[in-house]
Amino acid sequence: MNRNTLWSLVFAVFFILATCFGVPAEEGVTDTEIHIGQWGPQTGPAAPWGSVARGTDAYFKMINAEGGIHGRKLIHHMFDDAYNPAKTKAGVKELQEGTGMFGWVSGVGTAPGLAVRDYLMERKIPWVGPSSGSIHWIDPPNRYLFPVYPLYYIEAKALVRYAVEELGLKKVAIVYQNDDYGKNGVQGAEKELITQGLKLVAKVPVEVKDTDVKPHVMKLRQAEPDVVLLWVTPTHAVKIVGTGKAMQFSPQWMSTSTCSDFPLMMHISKGLWQGVIAASFGELPDSQAPLMLKYKRDAFDKFAAKGERWGVFYTAGFVFAEPMVEGLKRAGRDLTRESFVKAMEGIKGFQGIGGEVSYAAFDPQDAYGSRQGVKTVFLAKCLEGGKAEKLSDWISPRYP
Amino acid sequence: MIEFLQTLVSGIAVGSSYALMGLAMVIIYKTSEVPNFAQGEMALISAYLAFMMIDQLGYPYYVSFAGALVFSFLLGCFLEFAVLRRAKEPNILGMIVITIGIEMVLLGLVSWKFGADPQTMSFPISPYDSVAIGEVFISGLELLTLIVALLIMVTLFLFFRYSKHGVAMKATQQNLMAARVMGIRTNRIMMFTWGVSSVVGCVAGVLISPVTMQPFMMWDPLLKGFAAAVMGGMTSLPGAVFGAYMLGIIENLFGGYVSIEFKSSVAFAIIVIVLCIKPSGLFAKHYVKKV
Repeated sequence: MNRNTLWSLVFAVFFILATCFGVPAEEGVTDTEIHIGQWGPQTGPAAPWGSVARGTDAYFKMINAEGGIHGRKLIHHMFDDAYNPAKTKAGVKELQEGTGMFGWVSGVGTAPGLAVRDYLMERKIPWVGPSSGSIHWIDPPNRYLFPVYPLYYIEAKALVRYAVEELGLKKVAIVYQNDDYGKNGVQGAEKELITQGLKLVAKVPVEVKDTDVKPHVMKLRQAEPDVVLLWVTPTHAVKIVGTGKAMQFSPQWMSTSTCSDFPLMMHISKGLWQGVIAASFGELPDSQAPLMLKYKRDAFDKFAAKGERWGVFYTAGFVFAEPMVEGLKRAGRDLTRESFVKAMEGIKGFQGIGGEVSYAAFDPQDAYGSRQGVKTVFLAKCLEGGKAEKLSDWISPRYP
Repeated sequence: MIEFLQTLVSGIAVGSSYALMGLAMVIIYKTSEVPNFAQGEMALISAYLAFMMIDQLGYPYYVSFAGALVFSFLLGCFLEFAVLRRAKEPNILGMIVITIGIEMVLLGLVSWKFGADPQTMSFPISPYDSVAIGEVFISGLELLTLIVALLIMVTLFLFFRYSKHGVAMKATQQNLMAARVMGIRTNRIMMFTWGVSSVVGCVAGVLISPVTMQPFMMWDPLLKGFAAAVMGGMTSLPGAVFGAYMLGIIENLFGGYVSIEFKSSVAFAIIVIVLCIKPSGLFAKHYVKKV
């Protein structure tokens, strides 16, 4: 055996050993840790929604305190993007290419999410539970994206159906934010009204930067609707309902889940929110469901910062992260992105504090069935003191 | 017809808060030729102080409002004395950047102390109860804002025209050196100006707060107030108020009858047109500096 052959042999043995024992671990996963990223606005006009990320943080800390998942702790990396898509993209790239995330959870907002969707999907990085009910998470369909938030579209359908069938109100109007969020609501409402043989009596767009909403309310008032759907931000919603009261215009107001934090809405509207019906994607903060009580006791009471509020956006941080934790548990100790996706696809009828979550093997022809986790919402009415009365059980309007 | 009148009244109502912010900006500009971009946040912090005193500490209204006004006066004086006066050989651009810096610091302070969740301030008059004149509605709070804005405008106008202090402020703006030679303590005048302007801003902030408060609530009134002041000529008090009401009315008419999507943007298009036709603004006497 000459020297060259010997070297070749040594090299070959070394190579074989290296591939046997040193299997390169999945990015963002070590023997003791799983790194998960999340963005959420902590500053800027959208900062009230930043509590979603802080909710997820407390939830992960609770999981870690209970021993983690298959011997690994969840390491939560959250950053403030101020709801600015450019900052979202920069922050995601920095964490992904610098530290290396196994996957991403939640992430507030349609526009920030859209800024990074293609980046994450091209790299086959799992992303669970974007915090918005946009159609963009399933259209076009993506194998590695697992939305949880029920579509705004079906929220609108559920509200309109309730107004027409249960309350007997036929003249429906909508005031909507003039972007993707608002337009999804308009589409849902129009679709449901067509099946009822009706159509919208008015649709009034609001720009995000509008502060004076009088012209909008006057347009609504001219159409004399019995019920008005509010597909806007909480601040706009309060201004519209308040201006309506000042102009002696008081239809039945209905709103999306974005304005379903009743104690907050009652407080900032000085009590005008009473009687408003809202769609909801998860147990309300005053719910006595055992899992809610556990989260409050073991996560919120122990890990929330001083001054934090146990509100709808905070608990939403749990709702959007629960399916990811369930997927990590099912994937077992040999965690890779592929095994995680397989495990997520096996989730059927999972019940956390949101609606029932089900996924299926990826089918681009049926993205709604295979990738939209929650397909149900329930309706609640705001009572005195910000308490909620459940008006319906979980209902699942058809999509599209 | 009723709809048209209602649109007009709504425009005047929203114009009042623009008018107050416009006035506040004009006061400082009149003496120093600096547009103060911290104006909104100076008002913000004073309004949050009133909110804290009423809703968190339980003081009565009159104590809280008086406290906020005094605080805003001191804040204005302090910022002029501690920050702007320290600038070495300042030019206008440098001063503007300093005001933007102050704006960010104050905004950060409010966000840190009070959080980002929307709040609302208790107020003796409900913003949602309205006075009806025939079939035209105006809320009690809007009526109050309208009266306050007009009162402040008249007071300031008289103050600048007839009081010694007011004349000294004008002199300081027109020629700093000459004013100093004539025995005017220009530094003190500057400080006083900032104080007064801050008080006017504070009134605007307090009158906006009963609807909703959040750290970004003063951006829009400031921008519109500034636009109104520019339209009115930047040095004219009645000009700023007139500009503000025009802005409010145009916005509402445009939103009601043309396109609601462009309601907020149309104001700025109008300003561009005004400035093209009359570059020094509608009410300013054309002022030529000799070189």
